[in-house]
Amino acid sequence: MTIDVPETTFDADQALDARLDPRASPWVRPRWLLLLAVLPIALALPLFLNSVAGGRFWLHLLIIFFVWAIVTQSWNLLLAVSGIYSFGQIAIFAVGGWTAGYLALHVGLNPWLSIWFAPFAAAAAAVVIGLPTLRLRGAYVVLITLAFLELLRNFLVNSPYETITGGGYGLLYVPKLDFGLLGDGRKHVMFYYTGLIFFTIATYFIWRIFHSPLGMAFTALRDSETYAVSRGVNQFRARLFLFVFCAFFTGLAAGLLTHYQGAISPSILGFGVLINLLAMIVIGGWGTFWGPIFGTAFLILLQEKWLRGGELEEYRKLVLGLMLAFIAVFAPRGLFPVIAAGVRRLVKGPEREEEEGAEDEEPEEGRATPIA
Amino acid sequence: MSELLQSVYSGLLHGSVYGLMAIGLTVIWGAMRLLNLAHGSLYLVGGYVGWTVVNKLSMPIGVAVPIGVAGAAIAGLLMYGLFIRPLVGRPGWDSATLITTVGFGIAIEAGVLLLYGPQVKAIPGLFSGSFVYERVLITYQGLLVMAVAAVCLLSVSTYIRVSRRGMAIRAVSQDVDAAKLMGIPIDTTFAIVMALSAGLAGLAGVLLSSTFYLSPTSGFQPMILAIVVTILGGLGSIKGTIVAAYSIGLLESFVNVYVGPSWGLPVLFGTMIVVLTLRPNGLFGVGEARRL
Repeated sequence: MTIDVPETTFDADQALDARLDPRASPWVRPRWLLLLAVLPIALALPLFLNSVAGGRFWLHLLIIFFVWAIVTQSWNLLLAVSGIYSFGQIAIFAVGGWTAGYLALHVGLNPWLSIWFAPFAAAAAAVVIGLPTLRLRGAYVVLITLAFLELLRNFLVNSPYETITGGGYGLLYVPKLDFGLLGDGRKHVMFYYTGLIFFTIATYFIWRIFHSPLGMAFTALRDSETYAVSRGVNQFRARLFLFVFCAFFTGLAAGLLTHYQGAISPSILGFGVLINLLAMIVIGGWGTFWGPIFGTAFLILLQEKWLRGGELEEYRKLVLGLMLAFIAVFAPRGLFPVIAAGVRRLVKGPEREEEEGAEDEEPEEGRATPIA
Repeated sequence: MSELLQSVYSGLLHGSVYGLMAIGLTVIWGAMRLLNLAHGSLYLVGGYVGWTVVNKLSMPIGVAVPIGVAGAAIAGLLMYGLFIRPLVGRPGWDSATLITTVGFGIAIEAGVLLLYGPQVKAIPGLFSGSFVYERVLITYQGLLVMAVAAVCLLSVSTYIRVSRRGMAIRAVSQDVDAAKLMGIPIDTTFAIVMALSAGLAGLAGVLLSSTFYLSPTSGFQPMILAIVVTILGGLGSIKGTIVAAYSIGLLESFVNVYVGPSWGLPVLFGTMIVVLTLRPNGLFGVGEARRL
């Protein structure tokens, strides 16, 4: 007795050619062409701004933008992508800033050297803050990290070690980054380039995390912890890595800000700064890659340029609070996805959008889930 | 002796404040799984409404207290209707409510600053006068606050344990879907919880502004401490919250008196970190199955 074996239709060529849908794969290639187009602009911009009247202020805004964009991007990774509601990011920022400031001011290290201690001190602080939160979920994480924040603020303002903390004023007269002959008369330009390099490196690494199996694991842990763990995600390792990773870049940004301003004060730990950073993420786009970058730029413009001075200044906080409240409810993914969709529709027209969707869509758009 | 009495007196007073603030937070958490970060602003609403009634409409403080409570309750209902209700049943409840309450809180704080300016304000107490016992200054208003707080805490916990509405609140806090299937009006229950909790925050605001003055930022610290209390008591546990409120108040004032005034807050936050590390659900925390 024989069994009829159905003929298999196996096409070797086709099998070799099998490719994943680019959006399904976590590994996405950077768009080099776009970067190549942006690079000359980014490099030439400060030279142009430095020669224009009033351009110095714009340079200052751009440097501030680089600093806070690094912080919001890493906080976004922690807060929105991974669903760990840590409000301690600003405490970690302060640890980085104080480390760099103290080493440069009281130990006498060159700022170019002391700035590198900031990210490592911040990472160590992240382990201290991160370990107790590992067993906690949701609202409890908010509270324990707020407690750390308050403790640190209390220590900085009231501690007996005033040489370290600087008391209520913080550290003043911290040496700034020294560019030697290069920076002669072009200090802001050199700061801009330093900021640009830091920003680019941080953004690249964060982008890499976003589009890696690890980034997937973070989102999976956020959406269903039990399921993610049962599928082999090591919850402990993933969360601790995330804490340290985000803190490292936050600390780097803090070091840069300290050596750019030449000072760091306890007001950085105030609720106002925290809310500002939160607003940058929420308004830009909660849990999306471009959101925090866009939101940081938007809020810096809004606060430092449009609402600065005049009668509108008083309404700054009111506007900010209402924006936060309304966006969380009515545009949970923030303004960036809304604007991006609008622009795409304008450029391509609604009918072509669908056929090209798979290739042309921003890679992160496919992954970004609504606020969760 | 007088130091001991001083610690106990101010500990009980602070404990009453924390209790009034914290019980609202814990009831909301229990019923709605919502950490209301606008709670401090509701305290402000109560205080400023009370101040307006006394100083602008020149009415007695006895009238101002209920009006302040009502004002805060209305603000709470407004927040619920505008920002919380549209989120019910949507994914991402945790983060969205966190952000929206923070935003609403900031907006209220900024609004108060715009309307009333940054100056410190004071409301007269219901009772003026005080007496000195063993070199400790005891005000009648302070005693009144303690009594009112104790009555409120007891009646809220009784209300939730005994009354029909309270049963509905407990049912909702155990399982929203099952409660809905049993015919409990979820929307009304949430609104009642919100108004109750906001009203209690407002009451704290009106009563306390005679002891601890009123300014646009003065809602923040009571809220943070109320949060510490709810954490230690276990979010969602009413009994735990009441015990924790008085323990925290006493602990704080003993540290302030015997160790030094700048140590009170650090000790509290340190305690909170240790407790949460050892018992992630708080001291009296109840698991997911049974809340309230």
